[in-house]
Amino acid sequence: MTTATAEALNSAAGDEQVIATAARERLRRRKLLVLSSQIGVAVLVLGAWQLGTLTGAVDPFFFGSPLGIVQRLGDWFVNGTAYGSFWEQIWITLEESLLGFAFGVGSGVLLGVLLGEVPFLADVFSPYIKIVNALPRIVLGSIFVMWLGLGLPSKVLLAAVLVFFVVFFNAFQGVRSVDRNLVANARILGASRLQVVQHVVFPSAMTWIIASLHVALGFSIIGAIVGEFLGAQNGLGLVIATAQNTFDANGVFGAMLVIGLLALGAEALMSILERRLLAWRPKSTSENNTAGI
Amino acid sequence: MTISNTTGMGGVEMTNVTKRFVTPTGAAMTAIRDVNLTVEPGQFCAIVGPTGCGKSTTLTLAAGLERPSAGTVEVSGKPVDGITKGASFVFQSDALLPWKPVEANVALGPMFRGMPRREALTQARNWLKVVGLSGFENHYPHQLSGGMRKRVSLAAALINEPTMLLMDEPFSALDVQTRAIMSNELLTLWEKSRPSVMFVTHDLEEAIALADKVVVITAGPGTVKAVFDVDLPRPRGAVQEIRFTPRFLELYQQIWESLKEEVESAYQRQVTTNLNRGAAA
Repeated sequence: MTTATAEALNSAAGDEQVIATAARERLRRRKLLVLSSQIGVAVLVLGAWQLGTLTGAVDPFFFGSPLGIVQRLGDWFVNGTAYGSFWEQIWITLEESLLGFAFGVGSGVLLGVLLGEVPFLADVFSPYIKIVNALPRIVLGSIFVMWLGLGLPSKVLLAAVLVFFVVFFNAFQGVRSVDRNLVANARILGASRLQVVQHVVFPSAMTWIIASLHVALGFSIIGAIVGEFLGAQNGLGLVIATAQNTFDANGVFGAMLVIGLLALGAEALMSILERRLLAWRPKSTSENNTAGI
Repeated sequence: MTISNTTGMGGVEMTNVTKRFVTPTGAAMTAIRDVNLTVEPGQFCAIVGPTGCGKSTTLTLAAGLERPSAGTVEVSGKPVDGITKGASFVFQSDALLPWKPVEANVALGPMFRGMPRREALTQARNWLKVVGLSGFENHYPHQLSGGMRKRVSLAAALINEPTMLLMDEPFSALDVQTRAIMSNELLTLWEKSRPSVMFVTHDLEEAIALADKVVVITAGPGTVKAVFDVDLPRPRGAVQEIRFTPRFLELYQQIWESLKEEVESAYQRQVTTNLNRGAAA
């Protein structure tokens, strides 16, 4: 009797182990398949592109070629550009984006929380904010270049303005959607208005604010590059503009690639920051679902 | 008991209190009208009534979160202006900050009152021990079960050593067994410091098992319909068992008789409004 039970238990445990191993193996194989398919797609597209330019089906003058892009980038990294080393151009664009991001996020959070907390101010300013928000803000770049010249400040300002609105609206909404019970409870426990903001309102709005930071980061890079397009002495935007003027398709694509990599790197850092700041949240299943996309 | 005057600490005195709200559409809505209610210091008062009768409104008035439209609310002999001193609130949803660990949540009260962080956390850990949650100090609220979160809420409310405890259907989101356990726990904790309690609930059994006094509120706009003294001896012991004593059943029948009409009329009204709404749509 007892041996029979023990056997049954043993076989049950064995079954579970077999199933777990099989599941792990399936998962591993699937990951491998996805990865190799991803590489396959890249090879296929780039190969077709290169082949097209070699056979003359694609005009390399307009569309460049993968090898041409690599050569162009190599030349830039080794010999530098007309306005200094390529690393310097990357650094300047990065600096403009990050400064713009910092100023934009800072002012957006500050004003968002302030207007969210003081309904009177929100009512007074909301039409003006809507008007400014409705403007295509990129055109502000022209004014900023006129005001602040070709240097760094005009790009920082443009990036900051683009970032500001994204963060502001999220911070505002976040403050407005704070759980009223939490606020009431804090007040009864003896919190002053400032303490309520510090301990309840701001952390609660933080989830909204952080959600906006991904988009804001993209906007800060756009702001810096567009600013450089409109008038600059340095930066990746200027590199692209120059390449465009000399009909250097490889140059445009090459600079684009670098910008893309920069954005990806910044995005990865942002994800780490987000995980740190939102560590208190329960693991949601939606995150797992979107991880593959 | 030695306590009999309503001017002592934690006593509540509501006189002809009416509260109206203005809805977002601009219509005025009367939540409660002409409420006269006395809770003596150290008394456990349960408030029962049908859905939407303004039970919760009486609590927010006592807490000082809202002002009455007419009448006076006095707590500890002083008219309420601003947040009531010495009050703690336990909400139906546990009002815990999800981004703070349990001990930091409990420490909020003392910290808001100016106690240094380290000292407040030590006190919080002591209170967590009292409610039986040692070892969970660094967990986040979402990592705890509903009953455990309720314990944290209780600790967070009691750490301020309130003279008046306001509870708005605190256990209604819990399952029946957990609710019974929490009720016992509440009674034990209450016996230690004896704040006055205003306990809003739907559940008449819960009300009788816990309270010294049960106040029945009419269907909205609510007003006090009847007040019943519960003369079951204290300490009460397990709430699950006191339900079977003859005196409990007698009281239950008496109060239910009074409450039944209100529940029925509130339900009738709900049905009619829904019908009208359906017809309008």
